[in-house]
Amino acid sequence: MVDYKVKFWDIILPRVQKPTRYLGNEVNAVVKDLSRCLVKVALAFPDLYEIGMSHLGLKILYSLINNTEQWAAERVFMPDTDLEAILRDEAFPLCSLETVTPLAAFDLLGFTLQYELSYATILQMLQLGGVSILAQSRGEEEPLVVGGGPGAFNPEPLAHFFDFFMLGDAEETLPQVLFFLEQNKQLSRAEKLLSLSQIDGVYVPSLYMPDFDMNGCFLGTRPLHANLPRQVQRAVVVDLDAAAYPEKFVVPYGSIVHDRLVLELFRGCTRGCRFCQAGIIYRPLRERTPAKLKELAKELVRTSGYDELALSSLSSGDYSAILQLVTELGIELAKEGVALSLPSLRLDSFSGQLAEQVKQVRKSGLTFAPEAGTQRLRDVINKNISEADMIGAATDAFAAGWTGIKLYFMIGLPTETDEDVEGITALVRKVMAAYKQAGCRGKPRVTVSVSVFVPKAHTPFQWAGLIPRDEVLRRHNVLRQSLRATGAQYKWHGVEPSLLEAALARGGRELCAVIASAAELGCKLDGWDEHFSFENWQQAFRDNGLDLAELAARQYGLDEPLPWDHLDSGVTKAYLTKEYELALAAKVSQDCRENCLGCGMSLLLEGKDDKDGKGVCHDARLD
Amino acid sequence: MMRVWIKFAKESPMRFLSHLDLMRVWQRAIRRAALPVAYSAGFNRHPKISFASALAVGVTSEGEYLDILFDKQLDGAAFERLAETLPHGLKMVDWRQIPEATPALMSLVCAAQWELPLQADESRHLQEAVQGLLSAVALPVQRERKNRLKTVDIRPLIYRLEADEKESCLRMLLASGGEGVVRPGEVLKLLRLPAVEGRVHRTELYVASGRCFQEPMAVLLN
Ligand code: SF4
Repeated sequence: MVDYKVKFWDIILPRVQKPTRYLGNEVNAVVKDLSRCLVKVALAFPDLYEIGMSHLGLKILYSLINNTEQWAAERVFMPDTDLEAILRDEAFPLCSLETVTPLAAFDLLGFTLQYELSYATILQMLQLGGVSILAQSRGEEEPLVVGGGPGAFNPEPLAHFFDFFMLGDAEETLPQVLFFLEQNKQLSRAEKLLSLSQIDGVYVPSLYMPDFDMNGCFLGTRPLHANLPRQVQRAVVVDLDAAAYPEKFVVPYGSIVHDRLVLELFRGCTRGCRFCQAGIIYRPLRERTPAKLKELAKELVRTSGYDELALSSLSSGDYSAILQLVTELGIELAKEGVALSLPSLRLDSFSGQLAEQVKQVRKSGLTFAPEAGTQRLRDVINKNISEADMIGAATDAFAAGWTGIKLYFMIGLPTETDEDVEGITALVRKVMAAYKQAGCRGKPRVTVSVSVFVPKAHTPFQWAGLIPRDEVLRRHNVLRQSLRATGAQYKWHGVEPSLLEAALARGGRELCAVIASAAELGCKLDGWDEHFSFENWQQAFRDNGLDLAELAARQYGLDEPLPWDHLDSGVTKAYLTKEYELALAAKVSQDCRENCLGCGMSLLLEGKDDKDGKGVCHDARLD
Repeated sequence: MMRVWIKFAKESPMRFLSHLDLMRVWQRAIRRAALPVAYSAGFNRHPKISFASALAVGVTSEGEYLDILFDKQLDGAAFERLAETLPHGLKMVDWRQIPEATPALMSLVCAAQWELPLQADESRHLQEAVQGLLSAVALPVQRERKNRLKTVDIRPLIYRLEADEKESCLRMLLASGGEGVVRPGEVLKLLRLPAVEGRVHRTELYVASGRCFQEPMAVLLN
């Protein structure tokens, strides 16, 4: 056998820019003797080490797998261009970090699907790792390739490259999958996949087929066997306190994007913003108890040596015991010299009291996401926060000592007019005025960060299309000009990556060929400006007879079958339709913490009727 | 308060760590071992930890030193805990308590010993070149500093140089602090040896004690 590790460490690594990100022997990395493990999993993150290592999901699965003695999980990230070039030149395969084992030698190769712009990178990693790109041409000896994360809720653009997908909380599905693989080594790939398809949350795309009519119109996706579910249901962890959480974080040598401990307070969100996919696919709201969180924090600090711990969730300020937690945890951590931070603390749920507490722990950046400039448009997207609340919260924060604030907005939201765009400027002015009201002198640092709204599957806006590129640019100019006099700093993310994201996010299997072409043209790491090539992507669409801009702008009819209809997030299409109609009428829906809106989630949880008027899936169940 | 010098080795995979990375690794290890490092006073508090001498990325060493001030007197078990929590490739060799008022180790170090394994035939050819260098009156080398070239005579800064035929290695004792600094690469260049980073290895640092050099773990302090 080739000693990959010796060659990689002694000959290849001295030639690369940042070798420490490829060492794999960081503190708390788990290095097992693979020859003694019954199931070997490579956990792949299709981006650079610094990004992937900052991702909580990866840490959760890494420890969940490695905590079982006979299973092993190793990490692999997309190599940076210098290492990639060496690997290609020397025909040295992409290997896992821990034991420097080629990807092709694992039993299971799992990719996390966090954003569409990472899809071409996945193909590059398969190719570098010596794994066949097309699932159907993989041999018996090759790993099963699985995808999970938000992208698994519309995985059709990747259907040809993956053997299966896992929908929902992998803490629930993955152990069942691994146990099955451990027990059934003798089965063929096809037999394994057929059995795996019986596990909740597992979707095997080769067992489902899209149908088209004579004109090539999509008719829906159907199972190929009678005993397969028509809709694959998402897996749900019911008790988050009992769910696996890493008691140790792998501690990187160099600095990564989020170089600190992270504590997930809860999963899910009850606010019901209509553009937000996370708000749907992580339902229902499930909180960890303060006692559990404090216990986890203590252990994490002890095992890692980090001096900062961040609280993280979709909207951490919504945690029901947030004040108590921040106060108590802050005191405990301070004794050990550890700072508590609330990154991206949203003003939505900001109170003066919390402002005081947070100020004591660490003055992290203050962010606020009104998303839209006028109340009308905020009603459309169901961002249930009034201007008075926002200004009040900003005043509190300024009074508590903050001098800067970052505001997030989207342009291109359904029904948006120039009035809404200019409303952003009006709001910015009021925030600046709040600084004076809070008794501060001078001007606050206000950053306005603007992105293009990209409609996502399984949201009330899934039927809407992206506005055309020229129109995006026009509105962007309107905004930039009206903002000029305010002195706010303007951050704009560019339209081209959003166009691609939109084209990939709501497509079907016809996009598999496009992604393959893009990878052949060299597309990779598209989330990085220096690597993103819009021309190559346009070319890839054209080469397959498709038009990128047209697909991004595609508007679906309410009764049209959608490429992700056979995947059940737990939230019904009827509910999404209703929400879409309310949106177009600029009518809001309430937070479902108090009152259930009948989204369907509680049906998936226990098969009960979910219209009995109580909130968060009928509270009691979560106790 | 307890002032300590720690001697450690930086082995193969860890040779890729930069100075900053290595500092972070030690700080986190010390936190994991729950040892109470003293902090500087003032606005920007930083832990009182420093290295004796910087080591280029890619170079291994068995003679690295850390100078630390702790808030409390610690026992041997505390240092065992620290040794155990170090990542693979970083080894604690020894430690000693020193008087609190001792100057920073960094300011005491004046020489470094280096070793370079040689191919069998290389060492024979080298004898002559080594003798040549040692008998030279001056060895001017050019150094670049802030985009300006400067010529330095490094002959007086080469304290010892020998090509060991039996063990096929080149040993060098070079100034490092004190009278000046010679980088091993500069000597290799004069000897016309390819300066491969992965080949040089630092074996020890020395501090001056009267007119001789002594290892930091052994030098008498008062
Ligand atoms: S079932 Fe009701 S309470 Fe549960 S997430 Fe849906 S709307 Fe909210």
